[in-house]
Amino acid sequence: MSVVASSTSVKNVEEFEPLIVAFCCNWCSYAGADLAGTSRLNYPANIKIIRVPCSCRVNSNFVLRAFQRGADGVIVAGCHPGDCHYMTGNYYTRRRFSLLKNLLEYVGIEEARFKVDWISASEGNKFAYVMNDVLEKVHKLGPNRKLRDSRWKR
Amino acid sequence: MEKIREEIKEKARQALASKEVDVILAWEKGELWYDSYPAFFTKEKDIDSLVWDSFCVNNLSKYLLEYTMTDKKIGVFVKGCDALAFNQLVQDNRVSRDKVVLYGLPCSGMVDPDKVRTKNLNQGLTEIKKSKDKLIFITKDKEITVPAHEVYYDKCLHCRYPNPVTYDQLVGETVAAEGVLDDSVRFSGVKELEELSCEERFEYWDGQFSKCIRCFACRNVCPACSCKQCTFDDSDLEVLGKAREDSEDKFFHLIRAYHVAGRCIDCGECSRVCPQDISLEKLNRKLIKDINELYGEYQAGLDPSAKAPLGTYKLEDADSFTVGEKGGKKREKNSKR
Amino acid sequence: MQRVGVFICWCGTNISNTVNIDEVMTAVENMPGVAYSKDYQYMCSEIGQNLVKDTIKEHNLNRIVVASCSPRMHESTFRKAAEAAGLNPYLLEIANIREHCSWVHKDKEAATQKAISLTRAAVAKAILNDELIPGEVGVERRALVIGGGIAGIQTALDIADAGYEVDLVEKTPSIGGKMAQLDKTFPTLDCSACILTPKMVDASMSSKINLYTYSEVEEVSGFVGNFEVAIRQKARSVDMEKCTGCGICLAKCPIKTALSEFEEGLSNRPAIYTPFPQAVPNVPVIDRETCMKFRTGRCGVCEKVCPTKAVDYDQKDQILNKKYGAIIVTTGYDLIDLDYFGEYQYMDHPDVITGLEFERLVNAAGPTGGKLIRPSDKKKPKKVVFIQCVGSRDKSDRGKSYCSKICCMYTAKHAMLLKDKYPDSEAYVFYIDVRTAGKGFEEFQRRAVENYGVNYIKGMVGKIFPTNNKLQVNGVDSLSGEILQIDADMVVLAAATKAKPEADDVARMLSISTDSDSFFSEAHPKLRPVETHCAGIYLAGACQGPKDIPETVAQASAAAVKAIGVLSKSKLVNNPCVSEVDKSICSGCLACADMCPYEAISEKIVEEKANGKIVGRRVAEVNETLCQGCGGCTVTCRPGAIDLKGFSNKQILAEVDAICR
Repeated sequence: MSVVASSTSVKNVEEFEPLIVAFCCNWCSYAGADLAGTSRLNYPANIKIIRVPCSCRVNSNFVLRAFQRGADGVIVAGCHPGDCHYMTGNYYTRRRFSLLKNLLEYVGIEEARFKVDWISASEGNKFAYVMNDVLEKVHKLGPNRKLRDSRWKR
Repeated sequence: MEKIREEIKEKARQALASKEVDVILAWEKGELWYDSYPAFFTKEKDIDSLVWDSFCVNNLSKYLLEYTMTDKKIGVFVKGCDALAFNQLVQDNRVSRDKVVLYGLPCSGMVDPDKVRTKNLNQGLTEIKKSKDKLIFITKDKEITVPAHEVYYDKCLHCRYPNPVTYDQLVGETVAAEGVLDDSVRFSGVKELEELSCEERFEYWDGQFSKCIRCFACRNVCPACSCKQCTFDDSDLEVLGKAREDSEDKFFHLIRAYHVAGRCIDCGECSRVCPQDISLEKLNRKLIKDINELYGEYQAGLDPSAKAPLGTYKLEDADSFTVGEKGGKKREKNSKR
Repeated sequence: MQRVGVFICWCGTNISNTVNIDEVMTAVENMPGVAYSKDYQYMCSEIGQNLVKDTIKEHNLNRIVVASCSPRMHESTFRKAAEAAGLNPYLLEIANIREHCSWVHKDKEAATQKAISLTRAAVAKAILNDELIPGEVGVERRALVIGGGIAGIQTALDIADAGYEVDLVEKTPSIGGKMAQLDKTFPTLDCSACILTPKMVDASMSSKINLYTYSEVEEVSGFVGNFEVAIRQKARSVDMEKCTGCGICLAKCPIKTALSEFEEGLSNRPAIYTPFPQAVPNVPVIDRETCMKFRTGRCGVCEKVCPTKAVDYDQKDQILNKKYGAIIVTTGYDLIDLDYFGEYQYMDHPDVITGLEFERLVNAAGPTGGKLIRPSDKKKPKKVVFIQCVGSRDKSDRGKSYCSKICCMYTAKHAMLLKDKYPDSEAYVFYIDVRTAGKGFEEFQRRAVENYGVNYIKGMVGKIFPTNNKLQVNGVDSLSGEILQIDADMVVLAAATKAKPEADDVARMLSISTDSDSFFSEAHPKLRPVETHCAGIYLAGACQGPKDIPETVAQASAAAVKAIGVLSKSKLVNNPCVSEVDKSICSGCLACADMCPYEAISEKIVEEKANGKIVGRRVAEVNETLCQGCGGCTVTCRPGAIDLKGFSNKQILAEVDAICR
């Protein structure tokens, strides 16, 4: 079997299957994920993608809500700066999430739980790489207990 | 202060008499010694009860929102911090500059009633006079002099804008800023936290946030929280529930801080009014510090025509998430845009 | 009451091999709001689509979820099916369980659970979907073609032929591009100028085509049907109206030291020049950096000799602002810089030349009048070595990992041209592989080997040493393992093609994307090869990737048809997923308007009753024809008064909640 080694090791620790919510820009990262698919690249099933028209559509509320609902990691992926389908959207994304990322770290949320990255439609490889990377790091951190709503069961 | 008080009253009377304004927004003495609360004056004869003393800490600018739906002209007294707040409201398009006459009041600090109580200076207190950097607490039978910084609000001790940054008319003379004014003091609390481990930071903030009773006083007093309807009150969207739940408290505080990012004037009112003593200023200042470091020094409320840091961008902006990683370098290519 | 119908596609075995369809079906049945569910092998097939249509009617479904391939693939297919069944097409959602699930996961159980989760999110979103009605917007019935090479010329001619106006913008003083520089074209060996110049003349004569040479596109805004473009017409210093193209100024210009761009630097040109005699338009420009008049203020010969007083030293750049319905990008390619290929001596030895320089050296109108001679001593070369893949298929930093595609063929052509001129000469070709996929290509290359006796050596050249008037080429024949030393008189390098250095800026200006080599990206590598992801902007020629002339021309005509498709419509339908403002909540701060890249949001005063009086209150308002639906404004709005239809705050939160279950 050619199952990727990292995902096998993930399997061994039975009790923890991280959940990662990824908000992906329709024009690049979502397409990059499609390309990862057409190229049959492998990344863990723990990552679930939500399609947004642009990374600038992603509200900080959404990120926090995902953590509240028990996501162990959140990813926001958009076009590389300068390549925004809507000309300037991701420049705002860059500012907004630079601040949110620092703020989350500041209140004691592990850095690796929130990832923002630029992944173009042609970067299927990078997409798979980033997903694997985030999952691996989040897996090491264990479940998100810090922001999770205690009433929410998943 | 006493001298200026009469000047203020005179200004207010004249403004109403000459119809320069329809309403005067100032302070009025309440029943308790520390009670100097905001008041609207429309009649000259009421001006007698107008007060300007060491307890006029309330920021009047935000009360202008009450008048957004009228065409009345309003005269409002603003201290340094209030003037920043006023500009922020103008920048946010919530108040029209031309509907307001600003009377600037230089202010060297406001007295914290808690500190007065601790020093037991409130017994029979009739008046507080200022003499250079000292305050004289006057009662019927005695006068006690204390260094002003011992009774001023914490937030006033390192005030960077004791004089209003904008006004139509200035009442009294400008005062010098006191205390250490560079960012070392301002951001020292933030830096201390930043140096802690992730777990220690979490413990600290978890402790802070779990105190919250969600009274929304911080939001209500904030001059940057000027939305017609706050997102936390939107029952349809259900951004925030009503439960006593740690995750909701965190959500509230993070989003509150984030919503004022780049627009927080750092007046410290949120921390002052918090009944649970949550260190809200350490959240706000973290965002201010990051904005300054990432996108250049910015003081909200200084220039109402400026672009708020989150409402603009530069092509070469840094970010906090791709640095040092593959694909994380800044693009160096030029663009005409 | 929402009645959701869920349709789960197997995609043959593409999904069903990795996702347990039965398990998904069972899970779906229990999802809130689901009234009906059905699986089928190929939901996108006619039978599958009919299944969707029929069940919508039979089961009175009012929301549809199709769990299948990427929405980028078949969202529009299923929307049409829903519409055919009388449902508003925007009541449909796609769960991407192929590209995002079955194709990237190997563990069947995990993939099945994920497919359930993605479907649940789509159902949760669909329940909140509203009927959306697209708006309409008019079309500016004129096209802009950027780049005046063969791709641009062909595109412009085809669009003009369909009856639409075209503006063709070319950076250099003449249209023609790289093809004008070529001598003969493979595989027919007909003269490049003979087939190109008539097209150039057609373009200039067409009443529908406006040529803007010596011009550059400077700014582009707007959207399909309504692009607004600023074109900078650089100062030519010659009045286009007055000039007759007599050429006296060129002959009399005292400065003749500038290197001719057209001749690849193999000869000089005057400061006032036309790139080549057949230039279109045949109006010279003054190269102000070289011209004495501009540098020192003295001279003015051209002005004096001009019989029509066309020379105008005071001419200034002009900015033209024009509107277009469609844009076709045909900006072409360049050859890579050979600075880092020191082993081939290109930078140091005049007799080591590129393929493009060879074209000029054999061309009858070239710097040598068609006499193939060595640049160094003007002698006939007896032995010529051709090196292919110089920088192509080269993964190192100095090269390009892709195949430049045209070199195998033009090298065979060059070798034959050499042998035609000097039958007693010897030609050696070093190659990695010879790639001759194309009609008549293989036969052409075989002719070089079999009829012309060109020596093909599979192997690379290690180094070239200039010795005694010769170029000692040291290479290896990798088939025999033999080390070769050839004393060549001339070496021709098939330098890799590359995207234009300004391609990234052009992409940014047009909001289209590029691949990692800065070639413009097509919308789909197979099915939408001439479209970009930006509606109304199309690609043709080598700006999209290495291409030969027949392919370029085919793509140019294809791009023209796509553009004509836009121009022929009197109205275009808008994306209805645009922002809208809840005016009752809006504070009128207009942070949204400041952020909007399309200036689609403006201030509006609504009248309201307050304190017994009617007063005006400022709110934001969205112009739906300008809004492109990025949703950036929604995040600037703290209270959520502005929201994006189709991707509303509520819908996205519902998706988050559903996924985290």
